[in-house]
Amino acid sequence: MKRINTEILVIGGGATGTGIAWDAALRGFAVALVERRDLTHGTTGRYHGLLHSGGRYVVKDPQSAVECIQENRTLRHTHAHCIEETGGLFVVTPEDEGDFPDLFVQGCAETGVPCNEISVAAALRREPLLNPRISRVFEVPDGSADSFLATHATAQAARQAGARILTYHAVTGLLVTGGDGDKRVVGARVMDAVSGEEIHIHAAMVINATGAWAGRITGMVGIPISVIPGKGTMVAMNHRLVNTVINRCKMPADGDIIVPVHTVAVIGTTDERVADPENLRIEPWEVQLMLDEGEKLVPGISRARVVRAWAGVRPLYQEDYTGDSRDATRKFALLDHQRGHGVAGLITITGGKWTTFRLMAEKTVDLAVDYLGERQPCRTASTQVPGAEQGHYWLGHRLHEIEEEHLQGELICECELVTRTMIENAAKRNPTVTLDDIRRDVRLGMGPCQGGFCTYRAVGILHELARQAEGAGPTEEETKEGTERDAAWEVAYLQSPRHNLSADERPARDEAGLQPNLLLRDFLQERWKGVTPILWGRQLKQERLDELIYLNLMNADHLPQTGEKSPLTDFYLYDATPNEQTEAPA
Amino acid sequence: MIDYLVMGAGLSGLMSAYAAVQSGHRVKVIAKGLGALHWGAGSIDVLGYLPQARDAVVRRPLERLADLPANHPYTILGPAAVQDGLDKFMRLTEELGLPYYGAEAAGENLLLPSPAGALRPAFLAPAAQSAGTASDDAPMLIVGFERLRDFYPELIAENLTRQGIAARAVKLPYELLSDRRDANTVQLAQELDDENRTERLAEFLREAVRPGERIGLPALLGLARHAQVVTRLALAAGAPVFEIPTLPPSVPGIRLFNTLRAGLEARGVRVEAGMEVIEMNAEEGVIRWVASETSARPLRHSAERFVLATGGILGGGFMSDHTGRIWETVFDLPLTTPQSRSQWFRPAFLAPDGHPVFQGGVRVNAAFQPVDAQGAPCFANLHVVGGALAGCDPLAERSLEGLAIATGMNLLKE
Amino acid sequence: MHTTSWHSVGPSLDECIKCNICTSYCPVSAVTDLFPGPKYSGPQAQRFRESGQPDTPDQAVDYCSGCRVCNEVCPTGVKIAELNARARAQIAKEKGIPLRNRLLGRNELMGRIGHYAPRLANFGLHNAVSRFLAEKVMGIARQAPLPYWSTDGSFGAWFKRTQKERLHARQKVVYFHGCATMYYEPFIGKAAVAVLEHNGYEVIVPPQNCCGLPMLSNGEFAAAEGYHQRNVNSMAGLARGGYPIVGTSTSCTLTLKEEAPELLDMHSPDVTALKMGVWDIFEWLRELHEEGKLRTDFRPINLKLPYHAPCQYRAHRVGKPALEIMALIPELEIPESHARCCGIAGTYGYKTEKYQIGMDVGEELFQFVREQGDDVTMTACDSETCRWQLEHGTDLPSRHPIEVLAAAYGLYDLETRELTSQSNSM
Repeated sequence: MKRINTEILVIGGGATGTGIAWDAALRGFAVALVERRDLTHGTTGRYHGLLHSGGRYVVKDPQSAVECIQENRTLRHTHAHCIEETGGLFVVTPEDEGDFPDLFVQGCAETGVPCNEISVAAALRREPLLNPRISRVFEVPDGSADSFLATHATAQAARQAGARILTYHAVTGLLVTGGDGDKRVVGARVMDAVSGEEIHIHAAMVINATGAWAGRITGMVGIPISVIPGKGTMVAMNHRLVNTVINRCKMPADGDIIVPVHTVAVIGTTDERVADPENLRIEPWEVQLMLDEGEKLVPGISRARVVRAWAGVRPLYQEDYTGDSRDATRKFALLDHQRGHGVAGLITITGGKWTTFRLMAEKTVDLAVDYLGERQPCRTASTQVPGAEQGHYWLGHRLHEIEEEHLQGELICECELVTRTMIENAAKRNPTVTLDDIRRDVRLGMGPCQGGFCTYRAVGILHELARQAEGAGPTEEETKEGTERDAAWEVAYLQSPRHNLSADERPARDEAGLQPNLLLRDFLQERWKGVTPILWGRQLKQERLDELIYLNLMNADHLPQTGEKSPLTDFYLYDATPNEQTEAPA
Repeated sequence: MIDYLVMGAGLSGLMSAYAAVQSGHRVKVIAKGLGALHWGAGSIDVLGYLPQARDAVVRRPLERLADLPANHPYTILGPAAVQDGLDKFMRLTEELGLPYYGAEAAGENLLLPSPAGALRPAFLAPAAQSAGTASDDAPMLIVGFERLRDFYPELIAENLTRQGIAARAVKLPYELLSDRRDANTVQLAQELDDENRTERLAEFLREAVRPGERIGLPALLGLARHAQVVTRLALAAGAPVFEIPTLPPSVPGIRLFNTLRAGLEARGVRVEAGMEVIEMNAEEGVIRWVASETSARPLRHSAERFVLATGGILGGGFMSDHTGRIWETVFDLPLTTPQSRSQWFRPAFLAPDGHPVFQGGVRVNAAFQPVDAQGAPCFANLHVVGGALAGCDPLAERSLEGLAIATGMNLLKE
Repeated sequence: MHTTSWHSVGPSLDECIKCNICTSYCPVSAVTDLFPGPKYSGPQAQRFRESGQPDTPDQAVDYCSGCRVCNEVCPTGVKIAELNARARAQIAKEKGIPLRNRLLGRNELMGRIGHYAPRLANFGLHNAVSRFLAEKVMGIARQAPLPYWSTDGSFGAWFKRTQKERLHARQKVVYFHGCATMYYEPFIGKAAVAVLEHNGYEVIVPPQNCCGLPMLSNGEFAAAEGYHQRNVNSMAGLARGGYPIVGTSTSCTLTLKEEAPELLDMHSPDVTALKMGVWDIFEWLRELHEEGKLRTDFRPINLKLPYHAPCQYRAHRVGKPALEIMALIPELEIPESHARCCGIAGTYGYKTEKYQIGMDVGEELFQFVREQGDDVTMTACDSETCRWQLEHGTDLPSRHPIEVLAAAYGLYDLETRELTSQSNSM
């Protein structure tokens, strides 16, 4: 058993948790963050990638709209390289009747969301595939965001400010003193999911930033809170059919938005209350609904190739709420459990949306300061995270850098233009337990072939790294030094081929324990899970080619194995294939 | 007027064309593009795993055909015809200068190292691959090249070692293969056709190899001059040399395609790529013509008989949509595939029993004519061969090439 | 402009399953690192392109020669060459078009200017000094096989001059001659007219201009659109009237049929009427033969004539009709080339930076011709620029199959490239 002492312990490695770690560390607190899997493995890594202008909330939830536009402007500065300035359009389709457009214009004016009506012809020039039968178009400053990169960059900034980020560390219990009435949370029992080692982390304040899972943490000290897991299903098209965020100009509903993010266009989302935030099925009707609704914005979209589907869970907090989850508030909930439940030393932050994660973090740390005492003021609104100096993301940047640096021969994931060195450095810079971790770092396997070619290649590369590290792996001492060196790691540049021209000289860390056959099987299964809901037509053909590669050529189902499992093997094996039993709700 | 129009230029199409032209018929092959041979390992898989027992490799495939279901194409053909087709294939490839070999113990599957280091059951393999058989106990030196993204010698050697096969790995400089920054395995194979390159590589191999070892290399040992390249490397290195296939495009597959295409053209059969069949015309159950897409108006192809060798889902013979409909693309033949996406998949990608969507196909009678639900032929002059056939999952059971050869070579069998 | 649409080119990138067959057959990426290959530059890079990016994401697509071998071998139907052409047009739109490319795109204008004083023009173009200057100033390769203007007048002038001798018949066929026949090789047109008339067809030559392909391949889409529209205006009525429109230039007919409508998103009924009315001349003669209407009164031609079906011809996806028809000629031995491309690819091989790539690509073809032995004195190929490249690479004269056919009818002299006295056309 290991013991770590800190001032603030953050539970949860999503946008909010890393934002809190960054904010608190900048204010001068000693901070540790634990995440049971990889950063962004929960909701943050499973959203559609919209940087809200606030337009979606101007009518229904003006306060959210005000927060969105404020944070929209802030993040464009602090996280510039994680954001693409796509702009957004709100379009009135023939099905959108009534006075909503006028309310929308009025709401934008009242909340300060810049909104500009443009002609339908101008909109069609900008987006030729848009439904030509739309009647009105409003331009707003929506954008798209890379939530993986943004979270890594935030975590990196937190590390530079002294925070300790521990991924694959799961909280198994809270450390508590006192009894009824004067209960105090003083830390958490944590299990290293890879080594199995138990760690006690003692902290003056524990911040529960586990989103839809928040009730599981508070439940450990007997506090029941109601966080509604609202499942949102999204489908990604094989290429960007639009280069601007397209919204329906109506009350937010299912399938009313298309977000161009990186190389794909995401249609989102459904909204379904689910009991379990962990194992999510994507039902055929949900995919059908996304395509049907997508047709209203981009006619013909259902004939285009869908590359993947996934679902995330929105954490929607509303006290004693039992209605539809979409109607639950999108505002965030900051729960002071000392005042609310008589349990000191514990704060829960949940709800909200990605666009406002920084604001949520600021308010949370403000509350913690009430108990821990004032240090320095919050600085996250004006501090750029590492990598932001690269300027805004643009679609062609990888293609451009690959060409400028003549890296075509170095491509491992050819669909998403990932070079060998990018993979090697990602493995060295971020803890890697599965290839899915590398995927979030560099977009490995996220393109049309869904890992068909690059899974094998990446396994080969990681295996070579592991062999190099064998016997030469870092000692305990070096690992400690490594923590300090962490601060200099260029995690923020993971996605740039140009910033990864040469491999990092530092030795590989965790790779010595990597088992290549397990990596291979895990990632093939992880990819499979996300394609089965949309597997037909061309993607089915692709999958059959991938099968040919891994069955006939590799004989991957007969590789030597000892029944070993990674912390995620069972998660990937959860049955996500289409299921006829579930009907669309009436 | 031609006698046989073959649609599809994969192995089953080429074998059908060969069978027809050998019987004195006029034959033409048209295809949308180049296909399946360019993807596989270039070996001939006949039967590697039985549908119900996928954890145990089939040792003697031809003796296990009886264990296959009644609607399996092998069952419909019968073992003698399967054997006969394979024999003809061996004679043909030998005649054309690209000989294929089986295991030393006649009738057994070869077990060949895969690019991941698993042992792959193949019934026949080109000479350069069959030398890698696991039944030979000479230790292996797996040779890779720096920067070559499609081949990982350490991974192969480690997995082979775990299966009790002595193997070690070494990596040589990429510059031995090419001065290019960016080249795929086919282009690298063409570079090795150059004698000077072969000589230089041979020197490095001689340095690296230990006495008694055989040398496993990625399958890029020459394209047009493949046999000479292998011979030269083995002689100069003083050790047997074998190839391990790599990710698509498949150099061994392209060698086989080029060889068979040249053999067919020498017999007067044209193989035209870039022609996708988009229309058909039949009268009273007899197909009169099919038409292929062109730059303007469709081009009609008339023939006495038609052979559908367009493959299944991967080959493009079947298409499907989001409603769960799946159809055969040329004649809209009835398929046995479930018409509902909820019945297509199993939860695990590497599910031992495969995925139902890949097991369906065109049901045929004993003459390999497609039949309807009542068992009556859909058309009097249409035959179906290869990957489009129902009753099998050629990838899961490792029978892809064997099925193509057996059904193609037996096209005219009564 | 034209970067995405539901017409066939844009969404065809969705067909790609990344299998690499195209890259394995691409003749350009086989010889140079400057072109990363059809999969890379086509469906792969396309996912990273949109208009108005801070910088051009990839210039390398300019090294695609547009030969369409990738389209031919692709098993799933990605229109790779067209994706590349559109990407090139997008770059041209954003970065401008160099003078050299504008000039090469205006093949017709060059032809017209030169033909007024062909000897002077030939001297002007072909002397060492001006080729040196053209290379230095404009980037047109010094050694590249540029054509010679006809010193015998244009095809149009001949056709007008011989109107009285022309066959007038109930059956009529429209001839699209293209710029090369018009100004550089009028004898190809004469041979075509002779063959058509020999088969009892009256030949109509309506007003026509450049098909626009040189502009399409140099990224000048707007100009090409105007050219194509004028051809449509002139010939759509004839097509509607049921007159077949035949051409001897495989790339011109391909443009009229498919490239212009598809790349330019032109889909009006008139455009489609023209598209459906255009034939490569041998494609049409093959139809005639299948109906039993082609005259087969061929004289033997005792010749070994290596034949290369140009990539632009194969892109019609009609097989090799010229080969099938020539095979009817007694004693003519025709070894068939399987070379992927001659390397010139329209105007590609003229450019200084691409000349050597073109020659390296063509080596496969030149080698094939050399392997046919010393008794070979002549080759055959349907496309003009390919013939010039083939002559440049092998030092052997090259002929259009229509010349061979005219000769087999006894109407044409393959050596002098003149109509014989037997033809009623002198």
